[in-house]
Amino acid sequence: MEHDPNFDIRYSEIKDFSYVKEWICEPQISKWFPMSTVKEVEDVLACWMGFCRLKSSLTATIDGIPCGVVTLFLMPYKKVCHHCIFKLVVNPKYHRRGIGSSLVKNAKHLAKDYFRLERLQIEVMEHNPLISLLKKQDFQEVMSQSKYFKIADTYQGRVLMEAKLVK
Amino acid sequence: MQFQSSGLSVRSSHPSDADSLKSWLSDPNILSWFPMMNEREVEDSVKIWMSYAKLGYGLTALMDGKPCGMLNLYIQPFTKIAHTCLFSIIVAQSLRGKGIGTFLIERGQTLAKETFAIEILHLEVYDGNPAQRLYEKMGFTVYGKQDFFIKEDGKYLSKIFMQKML
Repeated sequence: MEHDPNFDIRYSEIKDFSYVKEWICEPQISKWFPMSTVKEVEDVLACWMGFCRLKSSLTATIDGIPCGVVTLFLMPYKKVCHHCIFKLVVNPKYHRRGIGSSLVKNAKHLAKDYFRLERLQIEVMEHNPLISLLKKQDFQEVMSQSKYFKIADTYQGRVLMEAKLVK
Repeated sequence: MQFQSSGLSVRSSHPSDADSLKSWLSDPNILSWFPMMNEREVEDSVKIWMSYAKLGYGLTALMDGKPCGMLNLYIQPFTKIAHTCLFSIIVAQSLRGKGIGTFLIERGQTLAKETFAIEILHLEVYDGNPAQRLYEKMGFTVYGKQDFFIKEDGKYLSKIFMQKML
């Protein structure tokens, strides 16, 4: 996908988040996120899109149309601002085309070279297929908590994955 | 809500407790175990803490009618994780060793379980914080550790994750 002339990655704009809302509301995406209603998604996006102003969010586009977003949730306090959590979502119609990998690669680059971060983390639900993509991009599991998600009386764990950006 | 126990009482936190919280956090001995490091960051964190307290998620312990410690439940707004809850606790430095922490955690567990149906109560503590012993004594167990979480004067501290099934 990176070599497709119609594919591009640019800083996110607020208007991109109407696409993010649409993607996250798709059942095959929402099942991997903690939100389960439109209201919950809107609450998360209200915070998420605030990072556009800090230029810590990137949007992948195909023919100028957003197809994925990755955002660094920069930490507000000095003692912890050397690392941060990020969130990633890709339009389900474009899964398995390398868009997620490309966004993660660019997010690592942005984190390291622009924000001087030393480590980058992402929290995912156990069994999320994103875990294998993350492992290929040098993320390792640093913490897991079982029973963190409860969906219709069944439990799923959460996993914190981390990549070291500096030696 | 008002409980009494060995000279201590507890009530729901209210906005006037923000000044006590700010003054405790401004004590360098206490602040060293929190992620904030200056007045602006402390004020920001007090605002966040009080925004939860305003919703009835906070408890303030009183000694002789004066606030001596606080506990906050970060009740989750998302249905899928509403059975889990992270909490924060703080006790005035000058009143340590009087059982205020134990008292607050006991009351916090009751509030979490009975009012909010919390099944997993969890906390985050920095490596070396003496409070970890209290958490262990109260039945919290370590389930994870994140190294290099705090960076201060070029030195790193790990964050330890602890939880208790209610």
